[in-house]
Amino acid sequence: MLKRFTVTITALSLIFTMLFFSGCSNSEPEKNMKADTERDELIMAIGSEPDGGFDPTTGWGRYGSPLFQSTILKRDSDMKIVNDLATDYTVSNDGLEWTVNLRRDVRFSDGKPLTAEDVVFTYETTAKSASVVDLNILKSVTALDEYTVKFTLKNPQSTFINILVNTGIVPKHAYGSDYSQKPLGSGPFKFVQWDKGQQLIVEANPQYYGKKPFFKKITFLYLSEEAAFAAAQAGEVDVAAIVPSYAGQKVTGMKLQAVESVDNRGILFPYIKPGEKTKDGYPIGNEVTSDIAIRKAINFYVDRSSLVDGILNGYGSPAYSVCDKMPWWNPDTVIKDADEAGAKQILSEGGWKDSDGDGTLEKGALKAEFNLIYPSGDQIRQSLAIAVADRVKSIGIKINVEGKSWDDMEKLMYSNAIMFGWGSQDPIEMYNLYSSKYRGVDYYNSGFYMNPKVDEYLNKAMSSISEADALQYWKKAQWDGSTGFGTNGDAPWAWLVNLDHLYLVKEKLNIGKQKIHPHGHGWPLTDNIEEWHWEN
Amino acid sequence: MSEISAVTRDSRNSKFFKFIPGLNRRQRTLLMIASSVLVLAAVIMASLLLDNEKIATHFDEKNLGPSLEHFFGTDWLGRDMFTRTVKGLSLSIYIGLIASAVSVVIALVLGMSAATMGKTVDRVITWIVDLFLGMPHLVALILIAFTLGGGAKGVIIGVAFTHWTSLTRVIRAEVLQLRSAEFVQISRHMGKSRWWTAFHHILPHLVPQFFVGFVLLFPHAILHEASITFLGFGLSPHKPAIGVILSEAMKYLSTGMWWLAFFPGLSLLIIVRAFDIIGENLRLLIDPHHAHD
Repeated sequence: MLKRFTVTITALSLIFTMLFFSGCSNSEPEKNMKADTERDELIMAIGSEPDGGFDPTTGWGRYGSPLFQSTILKRDSDMKIVNDLATDYTVSNDGLEWTVNLRRDVRFSDGKPLTAEDVVFTYETTAKSASVVDLNILKSVTALDEYTVKFTLKNPQSTFINILVNTGIVPKHAYGSDYSQKPLGSGPFKFVQWDKGQQLIVEANPQYYGKKPFFKKITFLYLSEEAAFAAAQAGEVDVAAIVPSYAGQKVTGMKLQAVESVDNRGILFPYIKPGEKTKDGYPIGNEVTSDIAIRKAINFYVDRSSLVDGILNGYGSPAYSVCDKMPWWNPDTVIKDADEAGAKQILSEGGWKDSDGDGTLEKGALKAEFNLIYPSGDQIRQSLAIAVADRVKSIGIKINVEGKSWDDMEKLMYSNAIMFGWGSQDPIEMYNLYSSKYRGVDYYNSGFYMNPKVDEYLNKAMSSISEADALQYWKKAQWDGSTGFGTNGDAPWAWLVNLDHLYLVKEKLNIGKQKIHPHGHGWPLTDNIEEWHWEN
Repeated sequence: MSEISAVTRDSRNSKFFKFIPGLNRRQRTLLMIASSVLVLAAVIMASLLLDNEKIATHFDEKNLGPSLEHFFGTDWLGRDMFTRTVKGLSLSIYIGLIASAVSVVIALVLGMSAATMGKTVDRVITWIVDLFLGMPHLVALILIAFTLGGGAKGVIIGVAFTHWTSLTRVIRAEVLQLRSAEFVQISRHMGKSRWWTAFHHILPHLVPQFFVGFVLLFPHAILHEASITFLGFGLSPHKPAIGVILSEAMKYLSTGMWWLAFFPGLSLLIIVRAFDIIGENLRLLIDPHHAHD
């Protein structure tokens, strides 16, 4: 047995070495290069296979586009809301009634027309399904005539418009229990085949009412990060999502496309003192991170741009909030970080000092020491956690880094700092993360953050009639000059970086103008698939 | 498994030192053991002496190839791979130590009781041994480590509770043989109790088996620790463990950073081999059937 191990290890080392050398000498001429610009098929390895399938009523399409289905409204590349299925919509003065007129020329890919009935069916099904989609706000949805739908809300909600942007419409006549496995819709592409864990094949929908996509067939391969990169090197895919550590590698015939995103990474701090437990019996709160001096000192001392350069190889940007560069972002959250003197001052004003000379600060009997947990499979989060822990050690805060499975994290996230990632094109995410209503709900406000003033702003923002009205309240919730959940205020999070989403794209392939991507690699890229084409 | 049953393996290891004239075989064997122990001691010492600062993040020194300053290069966070490897090895040695100590004790207790406590006990224990032997080590290990929530605890308990089986068999056979030996029979006839004879006449004869078994379990424990950590069921991924280092390195191989896998893998090989050499040579020295070869 031992022998076998020894032999295996030797063999592996040899193989690795050989791989390395063969990798160097690989100068095979690019194949298919000539045919490229005539091909109307694409092969992509961009990951993000949805576990739950392709049913918009249970959450498909929240991040990026639903591809198979179309939505009532959508955002253009400048994040402005434009019509998709709608021809126009009106909101009553009290903000409670939304009336939407639908296009009359829309057909599902099976040829049947899309009518108000389907919209009503979709929203009723979504409201009934127990899923990530929260439609509590919806009182009723009715079809006024064949092409007019009326949504009635329980109370005004400015973010309701995002539900109209995100929810793909499913056909009433063809919706069954296996819909998520065999979706049918009115979007630019229609479903052909899905081999779970391997590939998804889609074809252009001939019935599509919008601009016809150039590409007639797309194959999505579900490969690991390494395999996707290897496939790109071998010229087998047209688009491959890659991690920053591969970004420095040149691949012949492909260009590197870095897409800006709000896909952020940051540290959640438990906000309250320990003592209580959740109803499942998991402890809440943390003695050290409930101290504002610790949270603020970390916020001011981390060096965000060195994290971007060091860990993301420059493909990213410093993050100061959950929604950097979105319309509802408050630029006042940007602070001057890597500020050692400032951080030290905050700590000493907070009563922290190193009285026993062991390099870690104390406040009375309490040591400035806590756990920071990251999901063990995620190398970027692991690197960020290690880098932050190493960094704050020098100002006397001891962070013990630990990698855990998501199952374990769900038990630990109320009482330990967590390396989370968020980022959405919908401001409701901010509400979910910071509102006291969402304390301990799902992954949202697991730090049990609560500030009555912030709650007030958040509620005002939510109940504004239009998104434009809501903006000022979203911004004030972050920082109103005296309080807020931003870096200057309570700082219940230390946001660190926004990732750029990196793709290797065939040199001649034009993927149009991309929006700022939300959290999640992959699907956001295909949002504007109709615009993709070969360049000559 | 085979390392214990294959008592007839030749002493080829001692041939390494044949070039030194004037040494007899026994001295060569001793030298072999001494040098292997020295290697292990050096690793443990080095891990204690090397500064933790070297495995902190240094973005300005990341992805460097092997050089005089960084013997094994640096990784993508600028951590010195030599320091990580040495610390990883000593962590592995430490885990291996606990795990094999526990499994040797289990083997001794079960082996002794199987052979001395009557037919029913013997049957039950033999059955359990067969059961554990019938299951691949790694599967049982993953199951145990996963149930215990991973981490060092899971790995140690997992390794300890899967590696005792073959040694138990050997010890049981040895005890059965010893039981019918003349001096044991005489002791029994002179009125000494079962337990008294067990402790005073049988146990001392098991010491070589026990000791050799312990040393030879070591490399297994280390390799299994590395493999389940490699598979993601063991230690937390930021710990400097060999399995972690190797599985991380996989991700960087396609970017040409061969040193991340090569040197740690080679070091693991050397350490495992060192233990193997110690075990085999120890057996040559203290096993009564081979001591005078």
